[in-house]
Parts: sequence; structure tokens; C-alpha cells
Amino acid sequence: MLQKKICMLGGFAVGKTSLVRRFVQSIFSETYLTTVGVKIDKKSVVLPDKTVDLILWDLAGEDDIGSFRVSYVRGATGLVLVVDGTRAATLAVALTLRERVEAEFGPMPFVLLFNKSDLADRWAIPDSEIDGLRQLGWQIYLTSALSGECVDDAFRQLASMVTE
Amino acid sequence: MTSTVDPVNLPQSTASNDTEIDREALARLLVEIARNVDPDNHAHFDVPAADHRMDTLRELLVGREISELSRVTHLLDEPEQLAAAVGDVLPSAAASASHAQLGEAFAPVVERAVRRSIQKNPRTLTDILYPVFLPAIRKSIGEKIDQTFQSLNESLRHIFTWHGLKWRFEAWRTGTSFSEVVLKHSLSYQVEHVFLINRNSGLLITHVAAENATSEDPQLISSMLSAIQDFVKDSFNEKEQSGLDTIRFGELRLWSEVGPFATLVAVIRGNPPEELHEIIRDVLLRIHDESSEALEQFDGDSSQLAGVEAQLQTCVELKHEDSNEGFPWLVVAAVLLVLVPAGGWFFLSWQAGQRWQAYVSRLETQPGIIVAEHQMRGGQFYIAGLRDPLAADPQSLLSGTQVDPARVHSQWQFYQSLEPEFVLKRLTASLAPPDTVRLSIVNGRIVAEGEAPDTWIDRARAAAQQLSAGGPVFDISKVRDVSPEARAAERWQAYVSRLGAQPGIIVADQKMRDGQFYIAGLRDPLAADPQSLLSGTQVDPARVHSQWQFYQSLEPEFVLKRLTASLAPPDSVRLSIVNDRIVAEGEAPDTWINRAQAAAQQLSAGGPVFDISGVRDVSPEARAAERWQAYVSRLETQPGIIVSEQKIRGGQFYIAGLRDPLGADPLSLLSGTQVDPARVHSQWQFYQSLEPEFVLKRLTASLYPPDTVRFSIVNDRIVAEGEAPDTWIDKARAAARQLSAGRPEFDISKVRDVSPEARAAEHWQYYVSRLEAQPGIIVAQQTARGGHFYISGLRDPLAADPQALLSGTEVDPARVHSQWQFYQSLDPKFVVKRLTASLTPPKSVQVSIVQGRIVVVGEAPAAWITRAQAASEQLSADGVVLDVSQLRELNLAELNYLREAIQTTDIFFSSGKVVPGPEQVPVLDRLADQIKEFAQNARKSGVTARFMLTGHSDATGRETANASISAARAETVRALLNKRGVPPELLLVRGAGTFEPLVPENIQTGSSTNRRVSVTVNLD
Repeated sequence: MLQKKICMLGGFAVGKTSLVRRFVQSIFSETYLTTVGVKIDKKSVVLPDKTVDLILWDLAGEDDIGSFRVSYVRGATGLVLVVDGTRAATLAVALTLRERVEAEFGPMPFVLLFNKSDLADRWAIPDSEIDGLRQLGWQIYLTSALSGECVDDAFRQLASMVTE
Repeated sequence: MTSTVDPVNLPQSTASNDTEIDREALARLLVEIARNVDPDNHAHFDVPAADHRMDTLRELLVGREISELSRVTHLLDEPEQLAAAVGDVLPSAAASASHAQLGEAFAPVVERAVRRSIQKNPRTLTDILYPVFLPAIRKSIGEKIDQTFQSLNESLRHIFTWHGLKWRFEAWRTGTSFSEVVLKHSLSYQVEHVFLINRNSGLLITHVAAENATSEDPQLISSMLSAIQDFVKDSFNEKEQSGLDTIRFGELRLWSEVGPFATLVAVIRGNPPEELHEIIRDVLLRIHDESSEALEQFDGDSSQLAGVEAQLQTCVELKHEDSNEGFPWLVVAAVLLVLVPAGGWFFLSWQAGQRWQAYVSRLETQPGIIVAEHQMRGGQFYIAGLRDPLAADPQSLLSGTQVDPARVHSQWQFYQSLEPEFVLKRLTASLAPPDTVRLSIVNGRIVAEGEAPDTWIDRARAAAQQLSAGGPVFDISKVRDVSPEARAAERWQAYVSRLGAQPGIIVADQKMRDGQFYIAGLRDPLAADPQSLLSGTQVDPARVHSQWQFYQSLEPEFVLKRLTASLAPPDSVRLSIVNDRIVAEGEAPDTWINRAQAAAQQLSAGGPVFDISGVRDVSPEARAAERWQAYVSRLETQPGIIVSEQKIRGGQFYIAGLRDPLGADPLSLLSGTQVDPARVHSQWQFYQSLEPEFVLKRLTASLYPPDTVRFSIVNDRIVAEGEAPDTWIDKARAAARQLSAGRPEFDISKVRDVSPEARAAEHWQYYVSRLEAQPGIIVAQQTARGGHFYISGLRDPLAADPQALLSGTEVDPARVHSQWQFYQSLDPKFVVKRLTASLTPPKSVQVSIVQGRIVVVGEAPAAWITRAQAASEQLSADGVVLDVSQLRELNLAELNYLREAIQTTDIFFSSGKVVPGPEQVPVLDRLADQIKEFAQNARKSGVTARFMLTGHSDATGRETANASISAARAETVRALLNKRGVPPELLLVRGAGTFEPLVPENIQTGSSTNRRVSVTVNLD
């Protein structure tokens, strides 16, 4: 049994929870997010040589970085950064959250998801910016909770990254 | 060969190359040594010991080693240098040393060092270890306390139960502690899950579940558990490294034990003992011991920690369920063997106790017995208390209780119970109520009912009062006082015996029944009336029913009475009883004597003797004479009749005298005298009686006085009163004159002449005398002539007006002709009047007349005193004394103070307003009071005060407007003061405009200080 603690980070209402809802095993209600501030799901990813259980800590999305509970990230081996593609500000939030986490626990692998790719008409992030981030070697996925597009890929990617 | 050897010329300089031996020098040395080598010589010549060449050789060969050696030797010999050298290499030496050996080598040293350090100063080590130990100790103590409480609870719960006893036995038998046994038996629980969770990431390392237990995904659960731990820690800012100890949800408990790298969470259903903590902790410790490295390096791959599962399995096996052991028949039998005899004994003593208790409670319910103390001891019963002598005997109460009397030891003290029944008994004994009284207890009260004499009632009442102190109520209100009946009976008997003693009364029968008295008998009508005899006997006549039959008593006195009644003896006859004989004595006409004889004959049949021999026969003549005399004496008392002579001769009566015609007729007076008129011969001559009543009669007849005149006789004088015309008065006066010759006097002075002239004259005289009595009026002359009245004289202007005095005198003013001249009366009264009018003295001054002198006393202003003194001087010329020496000058200090207060008062106004604001109301109220007080005081002092109200304005605006507004302000204040009771005539008003400012002011803004009304006081 191989498990990895993965934290999902992102601003308020970027769609973290709905993004993974269809892809994970969950036993806890979403009210945990608002009460305890975290909800734990599990995503099993089958890699060619092994199966990894990603234990996803879905942290309550906050645009206020100050109220972010860093302690929940302790022991995590990877991050899922989620950005709302229709709100450019959420990219900054995701990046800031990542910076805080890395400052506390050191660098760790992550995937960056631009969510709500189905809302192309309201898309607010220029492709050039995404390309720029890709050139930094970042794993970036345009996802849609609606279609489930790329979500599995992203988890697979992250799973392989954290088990290397 | 010579022994002289050429010294080898050794180069003095050392080889330039350190590493290389100076080969040249070595070669030379070797050549020289070789020259000297001679085997023959070898025996003869010892190589000198101190051959410098050897040294040199040594120097050459190993010189460098020697110096190095000496350095090392030096290093080893010098401790400081050695220490420095070792210190340099020690860390790396330790690092490169074999761990096990080094540990072993160090262990004793470190132990010694630590021990030494502690011996030296324990503080140092304590300080070092403090952060490590404190949390551990705290936690340990906390758990220990929890544990203690838990086991205490358990112990308490079980200590007195059958289980408890059993477990105690088991503890004793197995040599374990009781609490352990309790734990073993009492707690029913099961460890259902055990999670071993990585402390860092919250990832599940291993999960073991009991066979029958199910749960959701343990991976998620373990992560969530650590998330919750983090949540709690963050939320409450808890710095402790330990995690959540316990989470409890109904039957389910989560106990977590935190290790350095992993947390063990046990999910327990039921009621786990505290000891379970230790067990879990032990498992966690063991896991850490065995797999410390793997735990530390855990990265999510649990395959490294496969062995852990076995350890966790031991936890899951922990459970305890209520055992269902076989019934311990043997124990029961043994217990029964002991219990049966013991039970028997207990029952018997319990039964005895019960009986005793029954007896005691029976005693306690007994009235008049108070159980103070009772106990059972050693099968004996002891009881002590109080008992009323009248109460039941406690000993006798034993019978029937099955309590052995021999085992009862009683100690009773007597007392008087106040319980109603005892009080009743005592009352019965002490009061000895008569049979007619019944005592009973009603609602705790003792009620006496029935009848009793008052003496008994009195005693009962006294007893009731005594009892009222603390005992029950003794109600004697229902006892009827039968004394009246008894007394009535007594009185009745007294009455009856009195009747029996009465002559002429024979009591035949008498009885009392139901408060009524019946009596029957005979009574002589002449005997005392039985009814009247009741009076004074206090027998109620209404309750007496008498039945009397009349009879004639022959007792002498009754006979006497009857004789007296039937014979009606004349006054001259006296009847009496002498020796039971009735004796008549005296004189009586023969007719009476005849009747008396007849009665005596009747009586002779059986009655007492009636002796009339002592009665003399009185002749009719004698009686006629008697009557005559009565007639004559009657005439003599008649007014207007004077009997001059009378006599009786030959049965004829002769009388002569004077009689007034107005007097009674002597003949008519005969009637009723039994004097035969035919035998009366009168000879009367008329005369005028001068007795006042006859004179009065005659005057009334002759004068015909008018209705307004009333005659009366006062002290034998005839007085006429009232009013009459002068003609009648003249007639009366003539009659009076006639009468004056003899007596009586006829006084007509009280008859007023009602003729008009006379009356007018009278009125006039009355008026004149009234004038003469007037002070300040001097009547010089007055006459009445021809129906007119003339008067002249002097009058003071201050005196009463003579004309005004006419009113009410009935004098016709038209007929009065006065001639008055004014003069100044020096009568002090008039002088005072004149002074009062001219000087108008202040109210503080009193003017009075003392013995003809006019005295002025009091306080007055100086000016007034001066004027009074001047008047005094003027008057002294006329001989009138005006004493002003007692006048004092008025003290005006208080007035001045008041004046100051008034004058410093200002009423202020808002800009452009002529009515002061409400804030000025109290100022106005005070000002009004002050002005009124000042005016009053000034008036008392004979001074009139006036108050000038001056209105002012500020300097803004036009001058004309300011002037009018200032005047209007003063007017307003006057109205407001008037409204507060200041007479307006005292208030003067003026407007000063801007001309009398209080403060110099800025034209632009104006000054509120200058918008005002000021007051000045002026004294006249």
C-alpha cells in the first residue's frame, strides 16, 4: 500500500471540490470544509508499476491568505493548485498559497489546474501567460469539473511525480 | 702507526638537504673509523666511551628522528599540550570510533559525570531536562489521577456487592490487586479498530480491525483524524506535542497515544478501563522500538512496516465481555450453613426488639405517659420517662405485649399531664362538680355542661384561669348558674313564712315547680295584701301564682278594722284593742252609738268583745255650735269682711260686722257648713275696705284704665304701669290723691304720658342729654317752645355732628334749631385726633392718653420726631402735655440692605426683545418680593417708597428705536411686577435708551449686559 498526502489549494470558489468530486472516494460531507476547514478524499491512481493512493486534503478555499491553515499541509508530498480560469486573480492566489507552503515545508511537486475550461467565453487568463508558466517546467492542465477533462491526467501526473 | 689521527674535516654545515644524509661527511667518518680498525689494537685500545664521533654518527643517521621524538615526548609529557592535542582530534576520533564500543566505554563515564553533576548542583541538570520531563510528568500524573478515579469508582461500585466480595476473594487468592480484578471483571469493552498513523503526514501506516468491526476507508479516517487533531491544536492555539487523547461519541471512544513518529488510535466500544491506556501505550512503544527507523522515514509506503500489524493485533484482541460463570453452589451452601443459625438468632432478637418497640410505641401513645428514653442492651430493656399519676400503669400495659416484664427496667417520674383527659380527671377530683354538671372533652377542650350554684361556678372559673396558663381550655360557659333558682326558692320560702306570720292570712298550700311559685290559702280582705308583701322579698311577682279565698278573720284587730270600716266612728271616738277586747272610747252622737251597739251584739256570737261603754253620747246642739264656730272662723278669714260680734243663743246664731260690697257674701258662705241658714241672724254694714286688693278693685272700677295700663299690687302699694293719655293720668292722679289720705299708696309714676307733646319733649330731653354726654360738644342753652326746639353751644370740628346724633331720637329735625360755634377742644382725645390728622404718625408709633397726658411711644424717622417735638412745644402753651420723650429714631439698616439688593438687580433681555426670557422669571420673582417687603417696611416707618424702573438698550440699531425699546422694557417689567403683586402706583417707568450703558460696548455686536431694566429706590 502506497499512499501520498496531497493538498489541494486554491482561492475561493475555484471549483476544487467539484473538480474532484467525480474522481475520488469520499466518505466525508462537504460541510467539513466549512467546519474543520478540510475535507479528505482519496484518489487511487494506477501507475504502470504500482498503485498509489493519493490522500487528497481539500483545504477550504480562501482568498484571504492570512486565514490559510498551513499546518494542514504538513507531511504532504504534493500539491494540486487550482485556479479559476475565468478569474485571473485566482492564479495569483494559487501561486501565493504555493509560496507559503514551500516557505514552510520546502519545495514539493505540484500540478496547476486551470479550471472551468468549459467557460471559454469568460476565460480571463491569456494563453501567453499559461505558456510562460509551462516553460518554467510546470505541469499545467486546463480542466473542467463539468466535463472531467484532464482531471485524471492531472492526478496521474502528480502521482507519478510524487512516487519518483 | 701514530695514534694521531688527522681529524676528518667534517663539514660544519649540515647538509643542505634535510632529507638526505650528508654523504660526504658520512664518508669521511667511515674512512676515519676504518683507519682505526686494527684487529690488534682492538684488544689494546678500547673504543673510548665518549667518542664524539659516535654522537656525530648518530646525529647523522637518526638526528631527525631524535628531534621528532623529543617533540612528541615533550608533547606527551606536557599535559596542557597533550590536552590541546587530544581535544583537536577527539570529535573525529569519537565519530570514527565503533559505536557500540564507544557507547560502552562512555556509558560509565557519562553516568559518573552525570552523578557528579547532580551531586554538585542538581539544578543544572534539572534545568536541562526540564523541558523534556515536564510534559511527560504532567501527562503521567494526569493519567494516574484519571486511573485512580476510575478504579475508585469501580471499586466503590463493586465493594459492597456480591461480585465485590467474590472479587476480593479472587484478588486475595491470586495475589493481584483488587482493582485489577475489578477491571478484569467489571469492564465490558472491545477494541474494534487500531490505526497507526504517521504523525507527520497523517497517512495511515497500518489499520487493524476486530473481526466483527466495520468501518469506512481507514486511510481517509486516519487522515481526517490527524486533520481534526491539527484543527483542535490550531483552533485553541495548543502548543503541546501530544494529540487528542480521547474522543468520545456515545458508546464509541477514540483513544489516541502519540509517539515520536506515529500516533496510535484505538477505537473502543464500551467501557474501557483506564489501564487500557497503558496497554495501548506499551504497544506503541514497542512498535517504535522495533521499527523506529522505518517509522521515521515513512513516506507513504507501508510495506516497510509489515511487522507492525502483528503488534496492533494484540490491541484489537483486547476486550472484555460479561462472563457468564456457573452458579457457585458450594459457596451458597457454605454461606447458608453460616447464615441459618445466625439468621435465627437475629430473628429472635429482632422479634424481641419489635415487641419492645411495640410496647414503647404503645406507651408513647398513652396519654399521660412521656417516654424520655428507652433502649435495649444485652437483652434487657430500659425505659425512663414521665407519667401522670392518673395515667395507665406502664407495668400493667406490659401484659399482652409478650415483653418479658422481668427484663424491663423502668424509671418513671410523676408529673401532671396537661392532656385534656388528665386535666379532666384532676378537675373532677378537685372541683367535685355537683351531679347536675357533666364534664367532657370536646376537641381537646374540657367542656362543662349542666347546672351548678354560683359558688361552684366561681371555683370552676378559678380553675379555668389556672389552666389557661398552659393547659387545655376549660370551658364552663355552658354551666348554667342554678343559684338564682335556689335563691329564688329560698326567697320564696321566706315569703311564704312571712305570709304565714301575717294575721288574716292562712297559707293552705304552696309549692315550687319549674321556677314558678304556687300558693293558695285564705286571706282576710283587711289583712295585708299578699301581693304587696312580695315587695322586698326579691321574689319575682311574675312567677308567683296565688289563689286566695277571702274569709273574715275573727282576730281582734281584723274585727277592729271591720268595725272601723263599717261603723265609721267619728274623730272623737277612738277604738283600740285591750286584752283581745275591742274598746271604743270618746264621744259620739247617739246614732253612732246605736249602730255600735248593734255591731257589738253581732260580734258577741263568736268574736271578740266590743266594748262601747266608754263612748260618751254627744248632743246635736253641741255639734251645731261646732259648725257655727267653723263658719265664723271662715268668715273671719274672708278679706273685706270684718266680724265684729257673734253669739249662739237658744239654738239661734247671731252675727254682726262690716263687709265690703266687693267682698264675698257671708250668706253664700253658709252652704256646706251644715249650719242651718234659718237659724243664722246676720247684721252686716257695708264699708270700703282699704285693703289693697279692694282698693285695686275699686280703682279699676272707677278709673277704667286703658289697655295700655296695668295695675298690680307691689308691697301693699298699687302700681300702675304703661302708657296713657295725660287726661287719664290726671284722673288717676286725682284718685291717687284721694287715696293718699289713708292707705294704700297708688303709684302712677310708671304710667308714661302718651300725649304727643309730652313725648316730643321727652325725646328732646333725651337728645339734649345725649349731646351733653358727647365729648367736644358743649350745650350752652336749650329750650322747647311752641313745638320747636332751640339749642346753642360749642362744638369741636372733630366731635360728633350734633345733627347726625338726632337720628334715632325721634326728634323731628325740622323742629330743631341749632346754633353751634366751632372751638378746639383741649380734651386729650381731641388733641390726639388732631395730632393724628396733622402728624400722620407711622405705624411703628403708638399714641395714647395716660392720665390726661398724651404719650407718643415707638420708632419713627428722625424728621417725624422733629415734627412731633414741634407739636409738643405748641401744645404745651395750651396746657396739653404731649410726651415725645419715648420716641426712638427708626433703624433703617435693614431697609438699606434691601434697597441695595433691589438696586443691584437687573432684568436682562435678548436682543430686540421687550419681554425677558424665561430664565429671568426667578429674578423677577425675587425682585417683586424684595420690592413688596421694602415698600411695606418703608410704610411702617412712615416713609413711602417708590421704585424707578429704567429700561436700557444696547447700542445697535437706530437711536429712536432704542429709546422706545428701552421704555417698552421698563413697561413690561412693571407689568410683570404688578402681576407679582407689586402695587403699580409704587412703580415709576422711564426709558434711558443707550445713554446709561452698564458697560462700554461694540456697536457691531451689542452687549447683552446693556439690554436690561434697572431699579432705583426713592424714598419720599
